[in-house]
Amino acid sequence: MASRRSFLSKGLGIAVLGGTIPSFLRTAAFAQPLPALGSSVDPGNVLVVIQMGGGNDGLNTIVPYSDDAYHRVRPVIGIPENGVIKIDGRIGLNPVMTGFDDLFKEGRVAIVQGVGYPNPNRSHFEATQIWETASPENPATNGWLGRYLDATTPQHNGTALDPSKIFGAVTLGDTIPTALIAQHVDVPAIGALNTFGYNTGKDATSKATAGSLYDGAKPGQSPYLALLEDTARNALHGGDALRAKIAGYKPLVDYPKDAFSQQLELAAQIIGSNLGTRIIFVSIGSFDTHAGQRVQQDKLLGFLSQGLHAFYADLAAHQLQDKVLAMTFSEFGRRVGQNASNGTDHGTAMPLFIIGGKVKGGVYGDHPSLTDLEDGDLKHAIDFRSVYATVLERWLGHDSAGIIAGTYDTVAFV
Amino acid sequence: MKLDTSTDPQVGYRPPGTLDIPTALERYRGPFTRRNAAHLLRRAGFGGTAGEIDALAALGTEGAVDSLLHPAQPDVAFAAYPDSVLLFDPKMRNAAAQMWWLDRMLRTQQPLVEKMTLFWHGHFATSIQKVPANLMVGQIDLFRSYALGHFHDLLLAVSQDPAMLVWLDNRYNNKLHPNENYAREVMELFSLGLGNYTEDDVKNGARAFTGWTLDKNQQFVFRPAQHDDGEKTFLGRTGNFDGGDIVSIIVSQPIHQRFICRKLLEFFVYSDPEPELVDALARTYALSGFDIAQTVGAILRSNVFYSARAYRAVPKSPIEFVVGTLRFMQVRKVPKDTVYWLQRMGQIPLAPPSVKGWDGGPTWVNTATLLARFNYVNRIVKASPPAVSAMTTMTATTTAPAPAVDLGTYAAFTPDDIVRQAGGMDVDRVMSAIARDAVQDDMTSDTRRTMIDFLESKNATLPTPLGPENYQEKIRGALALVLNLPSNQLN
Repeated sequence: MASRRSFLSKGLGIAVLGGTIPSFLRTAAFAQPLPALGSSVDPGNVLVVIQMGGGNDGLNTIVPYSDDAYHRVRPVIGIPENGVIKIDGRIGLNPVMTGFDDLFKEGRVAIVQGVGYPNPNRSHFEATQIWETASPENPATNGWLGRYLDATTPQHNGTALDPSKIFGAVTLGDTIPTALIAQHVDVPAIGALNTFGYNTGKDATSKATAGSLYDGAKPGQSPYLALLEDTARNALHGGDALRAKIAGYKPLVDYPKDAFSQQLELAAQIIGSNLGTRIIFVSIGSFDTHAGQRVQQDKLLGFLSQGLHAFYADLAAHQLQDKVLAMTFSEFGRRVGQNASNGTDHGTAMPLFIIGGKVKGGVYGDHPSLTDLEDGDLKHAIDFRSVYATVLERWLGHDSAGIIAGTYDTVAFV
Repeated sequence: MKLDTSTDPQVGYRPPGTLDIPTALERYRGPFTRRNAAHLLRRAGFGGTAGEIDALAALGTEGAVDSLLHPAQPDVAFAAYPDSVLLFDPKMRNAAAQMWWLDRMLRTQQPLVEKMTLFWHGHFATSIQKVPANLMVGQIDLFRSYALGHFHDLLLAVSQDPAMLVWLDNRYNNKLHPNENYAREVMELFSLGLGNYTEDDVKNGARAFTGWTLDKNQQFVFRPAQHDDGEKTFLGRTGNFDGGDIVSIIVSQPIHQRFICRKLLEFFVYSDPEPELVDALARTYALSGFDIAQTVGAILRSNVFYSARAYRAVPKSPIEFVVGTLRFMQVRKVPKDTVYWLQRMGQIPLAPPSVKGWDGGPTWVNTATLLARFNYVNRIVKASPPAVSAMTTMTATTTAPAPAVDLGTYAAFTPDDIVRQAGGMDVDRVMSAIARDAVQDDMTSDTRRTMIDFLESKNATLPTPLGPENYQEKIRGALALVLNLPSNQLN
């Protein structure tokens, strides 16, 4: 058999299907002739990046239930055939992912199999940096989305920004992920809507004075002062602008109450409020299941699946589903076999999910072999930078050169 | 050998200017001013009141550092962690453990010991997300007892600490099924840094730690039957090593000495310290026999520590900011909603985001975390006890749950203290007292003018001079604004 790599060719994209895919999916997933770069890209497209922190175990997410090797090395934590939600004759979804299954059947989910990179790193921190900077060979400071922001955002000239114009990219949480670290763009971190503002009750003078104190502050010797002042200005003025803009958006479905689903609800509000937002970063974790994996991973995959199901139902009810593409990533998959603690240790390749109204649903790439291994771990077939390049070029309409070092094949999922 | 700095977010935040390396760690012999004392108390503690700073300043550099390193008096009494009464509710147990520790940080009279305890918590980052609260409390007590001891002893104790055995799974590490989690992190994060060991060192290190596990009472136990007695090659040495040997081999690596000294310099002095400064401190550390007290003492007495480059150079962590605010405002009891606010600021005590701990530096600063700091200050400074609030028109509002009435959770430092210091309500003198007490005058003249305008309501429709009818509200408002200045975000 020809090697997997031989299917890859620049320009044609990757569309490799395994097993018996239902015909409606097979049609959808094969590569269509691709339009010229950016020509059909809607400038209002939004990318939602979902970080599955801790290293998600791919083999219990997309389960190779027909493979004896899977059940052999996972006698306790393996999911039996009658437990999976079958995708085809070989693979199926973790049983908790019913919402995901609905989206998949509607053709809105692309499952990209065996994603990774050469010489995989098994440290959480290094691997996360690699994924977020898209630079496995040379450590980089800026994130891949940060470089995109730098390339597409005019450098601000020192005058105060219009507070409603600072939401081109946002992260929903209290920390800025490395992926969004840019040279000259400050990405607002919005922990929750009701806490995003300077709170002085009825004391309006204090609030006005606070704004002017940071407006007038002069950088001193600490290199942190400029960062503090820029950030404080956005914080002091941005919250009011955000609340005013999104007040008109009402969710049309009930979101689950877990923190991840609540982030998605806020994401939908932001998307529906014409803030010029192109990138939203959300996260769910921890998938670092060294022990007692089934309980923890199933709980989180349930949040992921039900949260995204609600998110797309809400977007569809607002006719926004075609404007939004969500992609997942995790710093690594996990070892093939279970460990002595009914968990799994750090591994390598894993599946990614691409979800959206315009996504060409289906399965991209073969499930990685459980017996043909490299250093005891799964071999990757699709480089994660191929996925990034596809998203940049075919969803955000931006040349991946200059953002991602090197040239990578695109994948036909959009 | 290399020291990994590629993923350190503090790189790029080294203060401008050049450092005179040969004299950087020599003893500082200049005048020990009130600002020096405040700087020392912020770094080697959690800041303090004007009175505490004056008392420290009176001791001189040597006396002040000695008083922090070797406290003469035993500490105040603290209640034990109330484990038993909350046995059945993990959430309450976790919250009780967090409040137990914050209370110690707030009330301790040995602030450097508690500050080092916080340092080790960030270094050996273990989380209540996975580890039961009583074991976390045990680990914090362990950090406190070794806070200024010998690193070798600390690392050995941590390797046998029940919380750590749970956190990094070494309790499951046995010779039939080695678990590499602890062996990897003990080198990557606790002692050497990435790139200074091989995957084979991880595998062999894990074999050496086999059989270090927990008994049924959650106490450390060595089970010889689970221990791999074979020969191991670890960091270039070969023998039938056990975990104790691994700890000794690790600590003897020159790269370890630079690794730990770099972290201490980032914590106490400034981000991204010069490699030559790291090397110089590493020599002190090695000569001292890995003695943390001597190494930290060398930092706190040094020229570089009192240099302009180190002054207000690094962002306060949320815990430093919160405990510092409470101590300055003389709040005697940690308000119940404090952990909620710390979460919004990005640092939940006993719950670091990962085994790497908190990145610190610029990662503390974003729109969400700054707003949480501002609003916590507004909430603490502007809240007055119910009996007093009738005399003022201030309304303290937060989105957090309303705290129960407990006078200890309100500031004992009041506008009357400022008026007393100023000798009246002259705006200029009131402003001077606020600026001196809260930020050691670290504000620009523009800021000072803006603040005076605020105190006089210059920009209001009805400008009102500071006076008996409005001083409570005005001075509380001004204190909150000054505590929210950029300089007060920096240590």
